[in-house]
Amino acid sequence: MNDDAIDTSHSDDSTDFGFTRVDRAAKASLVREVFDSVASRYDLMNDLMSGGIHRLWKRFTIELSAARAGQTILDIAGGTGDLAAKFSRLVGPDGRVILADINAAMLEVGRDRLIDKGATGNIDVVQADAQSLPFEDGSIDCITIAFGLRNVTDKAMALRSMLRVLRPGGRLLVLEFSKPTSPLLAKIYDQYSFQVLPAMGKLIAQDADSYRYLAESIRKHPDQETLLGLMEEAGFANVSYHNMTGGIVAVHRGFKA
Amino acid sequence: MTQHDPALLSAALSGAERAINQAILLAPTSHSALKALDGTLIGVEITSLELTLYLALAPGPEVRLLSHCEDKTATFVRGSLEDFATLITSEDPAATLINSGIELQGSSASLIRLQQVISQMDIDWEAPLVERLGDVTGHQLAEALRSLFRWGEGARKSLKRQLSEYLLEEGRLTPPKLELEHFFDGVQSLSMRVEKAQVKAEKLLAKAAARRAQQ
Repeated sequence: MNDDAIDTSHSDDSTDFGFTRVDRAAKASLVREVFDSVASRYDLMNDLMSGGIHRLWKRFTIELSAARAGQTILDIAGGTGDLAAKFSRLVGPDGRVILADINAAMLEVGRDRLIDKGATGNIDVVQADAQSLPFEDGSIDCITIAFGLRNVTDKAMALRSMLRVLRPGGRLLVLEFSKPTSPLLAKIYDQYSFQVLPAMGKLIAQDADSYRYLAESIRKHPDQETLLGLMEEAGFANVSYHNMTGGIVAVHRGFKA
Repeated sequence: MTQHDPALLSAALSGAERAINQAILLAPTSHSALKALDGTLIGVEITSLELTLYLALAPGPEVRLLSHCEDKTATFVRGSLEDFATLITSEDPAATLINSGIELQGSSASLIRLQQVISQMDIDWEAPLVERLGDVTGHQLAEALRSLFRWGEGARKSLKRQLSEYLLEEGRLTPPKLELEHFFDGVQSLSMRVEKAQVKAEKLLAKAAARRAQQ
């Protein structure tokens, strides 16, 4: 990790990188280093860390997308492509799925996985920054961002960018770690995140620091109500959220009016 | 919207969906009947569990179980878990649908057809067993399982028949079906005669009132 970029002062040009403050300009490259490091074992680690529950969270997110044949779906921070593969079947040959990620290493793993699964005909793989999406205004029916928004430097800018590319009536689904609703669960979850998770990262991906960052970034991410407010401020209408697994994860949904 | 944790519900639905689709894979004779139901969407509200789920038939054939669906359902049924268990195992789904506590909105045709396909599903257990255990062991195990299922089915039917005989003949705890149907016919006929008499009486009263008014 690039220690030179880490800044402990709280100037206006700084932002969170886990529990540390860093220059805004440096966050993207620091996050990229984290995901470069974990890309090859990302899915395996997700399965181990969540006990496979991340698949259930994603399954419900797909249900909330109400994706149907012929639609265009954009999966931002889609990384290893598990959501994109499922959307590919739902939108069919007349539809289109765009798998976007800022990280080339994650996209490479994702593209290989999709080819292995035979999901290729209607999927485009695009390296893109969520803050300035390279798509036409009003060209997307549904956007999903699963476990990606917390790594974005300027969340408000990213949300505005997503709103811009959505068609009127289109929806955004943000699946992200959030705040447990029970204090007891929160304590257990804290212990797990800061003790077990980095140890597992060290054991499996030989990278405890990256997984410590992932745990810290989850704590710094806005809670359910704050994210709902951010989405409303960005211009989304009818914003609501569903807590899952006691609020450890929440899926927010908002529409473009 | 259901109050259950979506992740828990997804776990249950995902497991059930996998089991159903595995059974469909092993029952190739049901594929053409299921393909005819392609695109069917049935909403099911289980009142005793405060749970609403959706059953969608997709090409493949494949069944998808959803906890959230925004498409319009052609059929929506509401009832207790017990009602649905009775419907699934019923030999006459149309009669069960009418006589049970299940509320139906929309068309019953696809629901009845699906129940029939499920109840007639002939699952070939031998193929996966042979694939995993080899021809000889797989076939023998499949034969043993078939015998067990046949015995189980025979025992179930025998128990049902004996129980029915006991309730009707020995215990006289419930009336026979024919007697009950005769009674219901009598009640319906009486109800119609009362309605006719009531209409006639109302006409006569109206006529009498008109005559009194003329005098």
